[in-house]
Amino acid sequence: MFYQIMMPRNLILTMVAAIALLYAAPGLAQQAVEVQLTYSNSQFQPSEVRAPADRPVVFRVKNLDAKAIEFESKSLRVEKVVAAKSEGVINVRALKPGRYEFYDDFNDKVRGALTVQ
Amino acid sequence: MRAASPSGRHCTSLLGALASLLCLAGAARADDASSWLEMETKYIFGFTTGSGIGIEGEKEFTVDTIGRFGKRDGHYAATETKYEYEFTPSQFVQIEFGALGSTHNIGAVTGLDGRNAAGFAGGFAEFRYLAVERTSNNPLSVTLAFEPNVRLIDETSGERVHNYEFETTVNSDLELLKNRLYAGFNLLYEPEVTWTAMDETVREATFGGSAALSLRIVPNVLVGGEVWYLRHYDSPTLSAFTGDTVMLGPTLYVQFTSKMFMIAAWNAQVWGREVGNSLPLNLTEFQRHRARLKFAWEF
Repeated sequence: MFYQIMMPRNLILTMVAAIALLYAAPGLAQQAVEVQLTYSNSQFQPSEVRAPADRPVVFRVKNLDAKAIEFESKSLRVEKVVAAKSEGVINVRALKPGRYEFYDDFNDKVRGALTVQ
Repeated sequence: MRAASPSGRHCTSLLGALASLLCLAGAARADDASSWLEMETKYIFGFTTGSGIGIEGEKEFTVDTIGRFGKRDGHYAATETKYEYEFTPSQFVQIEFGALGSTHNIGAVTGLDGRNAAGFAGGFAEFRYLAVERTSNNPLSVTLAFEPNVRLIDETSGERVHNYEFETTVNSDLELLKNRLYAGFNLLYEPEVTWTAMDETVREATFGGSAALSLRIVPNVLVGGEVWYLRHYDSPTLSAFTGDTVMLGPTLYVQFTSKMFMIAAWNAQVWGREVGNSLPLNLTEFQRHRARLKFAWEF
């Protein structure tokens, strides 16, 4: 009888632990790397940034200029309009090693690059 | 003196086109393409589809018309236009769907009823998954695509039908010269089933592939060429071969603004055969020429 009562509890605990692991493990293994960028005087500062490979990247783009920008990258496959005097957050998947260019789509002469190693 | 055969002329044209592309590529290398923005490769190869899936959150409306012209006799002109909404919900997936419109202008073609008609032809959806992504260290990119189509008007004859087509493709491309020269490759398997107005059931499939080259001559213009080899079967399992063809032609891509572009492509049938017919070319399952014109607006 004791065995019959304990089995479901053990089973439930095991399932809860497994689900918790499933949710937690990717987060632990792939904690996002934050990259801070400032946009002022029509320039990204810094214009060259680095991040480790196989980790998601979060860009925090602070636009200090008086006009909106569109942070865009074909190789990162992201775009986001960042209004004047505000901050935009752009989430990027875990990246393989390489160089990923980004630019302001409203003024595509303004460029930068992320180097993933 | 022996006249040059059509296939010989086409080979000469192809070699000429390739030589021109290589010359242009040489000239292109002399310029500095490092200051150019990266290319989205999906639409730069004409009928061949590149691996691009767009940018996460990007939406696009396109009008994409494919015209097919010329059969063995009479006059034949048919078009199908996709009115398409396309979006990229993640950095690996792209989804498209839309409506189909068609026109048929057919007269005195053996085996086809004459008609002059236009109408709503059905709908489609497409799911694209980026399986291998290009990086600065890896020039190859591969996308898997699945496109179910439902048609109420037969693409070839213009007759009222119920047609279900399941186009499955592998779209890959290589960046041969950074920001300059690209090679595209498609592998196609397209089974379909059609119920005609006469209550007949027709099962068939097209299988084949393509290779294309596209050169960026200026930042917003690419020119190139592509070749397609297609086989037709009267069975989705590819067991009843009925004929095959080779189509060849030039391609053009023009980016008008960062949010608007067009593509144009033209393919001519340069070789073909039909099972049980010794005449040159395959004009039963395929057409003498096909052309594509597409306009897209991103938003």
